[in-house]
Amino acid sequence: MINIILHFLYAFVCTIGFAIIFNTPRASLLKAGFTGAIGWTVYRLTSHYSPSIVFSSFLGAFFVALSGEIFAIVDKKPMTVYVIPGIVPLVPGYSLYYTMLSILENDNVTALERGSEAFMVAISIAAALTIILSLNAYRKRRLARGKTA
Amino acid sequence: MNQVNQKKLLVMAVYAGEIMLKNGAETYRVEDTITRLCQSRNYPYVDAYVTPTGIFVSVDTKGQMEKEMLSSVKRIRSRNINLNKITEVNDFSRKFVEGSMSVEDGMQQLRHIDGLASYPLPLQAFMGGVASAFVALLFGANLLEFISALITSIIVTFSIKKLNEAGFTLFLNNIVGGCLAAFFAILLSYLHPSIDVDKVIIGAIMVMVPGVAMTNAVRDTIMGDLVSGLARGIEALLIAISIAFGVGFVLKAWIILIGGTLI
Repeated sequence: MINIILHFLYAFVCTIGFAIIFNTPRASLLKAGFTGAIGWTVYRLTSHYSPSIVFSSFLGAFFVALSGEIFAIVDKKPMTVYVIPGIVPLVPGYSLYYTMLSILENDNVTALERGSEAFMVAISIAAALTIILSLNAYRKRRLARGKTA
Repeated sequence: MNQVNQKKLLVMAVYAGEIMLKNGAETYRVEDTITRLCQSRNYPYVDAYVTPTGIFVSVDTKGQMEKEMLSSVKRIRSRNINLNKITEVNDFSRKFVEGSMSVEDGMQQLRHIDGLASYPLPLQAFMGGVASAFVALLFGANLLEFISALITSIIVTFSIKKLNEAGFTLFLNNIVGGCLAAFFAILLSYLHPSIDVDKVIIGAIMVMVPGVAMTNAVRDTIMGDLVSGLARGIEALLIAISIAFGVGFVLKAWIILIGGTLI
C-alpha cells in the first residue's frame, strides 16, 4: 500500500516534469500531473495481478485518457494537454532500451521479443486513447443534435 | 452574416492550423479547426487535408462565378511539442467562431500566440532532470541512481534544447542526446558500485523517447488518417534509431575498452 502511494507521488512529479518540457499551460500543470499519476498507479496495480504488460498499459492509458478527457471537458481545453504528459511514464522506453542492447549484442531473438513488446504497448496505449476519443466525439454529436432539434 | 474577405480568412485559418501543427497538435484537430474557422464566416464548402508535413485547404462559395474557389498549401518543416500554443489557438478558434471578431484582429491575436515564450531553458532542463530521475525511481532505482539520472538528464535536456534552437536536425539532436546520456551514466557509475548504468540511461533517454510520436502514429492510423499515421510512424522510428545509435555507440566503445558484455 505504501508502495502504491509512493509510486503515485513519483509518477505525479515525473509527469509534471514532462509537462514543463512540453510547455503545458501553467494552470493545467497539476491536473496533468494527476492524470499521469492515475495512469501509472492503475498500471502498477494491474501489473501486480496480471503478467501481461500490454494489458496493464492498456488499462493505464485508458485511465489517463478518461481523466484527461474529464479535465478537458471541465476546463474547455484540448485533451492533448493532459494526455501527452500523462502517457509518458507508460511509454515503453524500457523495452526500447533493451531492444537496442540486444541488437548491440547480436542477440536478434531477444531484440525481436523486446521490440515487438514495445510495439504492442504503443498499440495498446493508442487503442485506449482512441476508444475514449471516439466516445467523446459521439457525446459531442449527440449534444450538437440536441441543440439543433 | 455578410461575407468577409475570402482570401484573408483563408490565410488566417491556415496560419492557425500551421501554429497548431508545428507545436504538435493531432491531425484531426487541425483539420477540424481550419474547417470551423472558415465555415463560421459563411463559406459552405471548406475542405482541409492535413498531414504532419503540410496543410492543404480549399474554400468555395456557392456561386457559379470564376475565381471563387481559393486553395492554399502550407509546408511544415519542423515540429516540436508546445501544448500552451495549442491550447491558446484552440481558445482563439472557439472565440472566433462564436463571436464576431474581424479577420484582422484574429490575425493579430494569432501572431501574438505564435510569439508566446515557452518556459525558460534552465527550468525546462531542471524539470527534465527531475522527470527522468523519477522515471528511474519508478523502475526501481536507488538514491544514488536517482541523483545520477537527475544530473545526466539535466545535461541531456539542456543540450538537445540548445541544439534544437540552433536548428540542427532531429536525427543529429537525438544522437548527441543518446551519446551524452550513455557517457555521463558510465562516468557516474564509476563513482559508486551500486549505480546501475542501465537504469540511469533509461531515465535519461525518457526525455527523448518518441512515445508521443509513436502513440499519435498508431492513433492517426486507427482514425483513418493513414498518410499522417505513416509519417508520424517514420518520425518515431527515426527518433528511436537515432537515440539507439547514440547510446549504442558509446556503450559499445566502453565495452570494447574494458571488455565484458552489456546484458
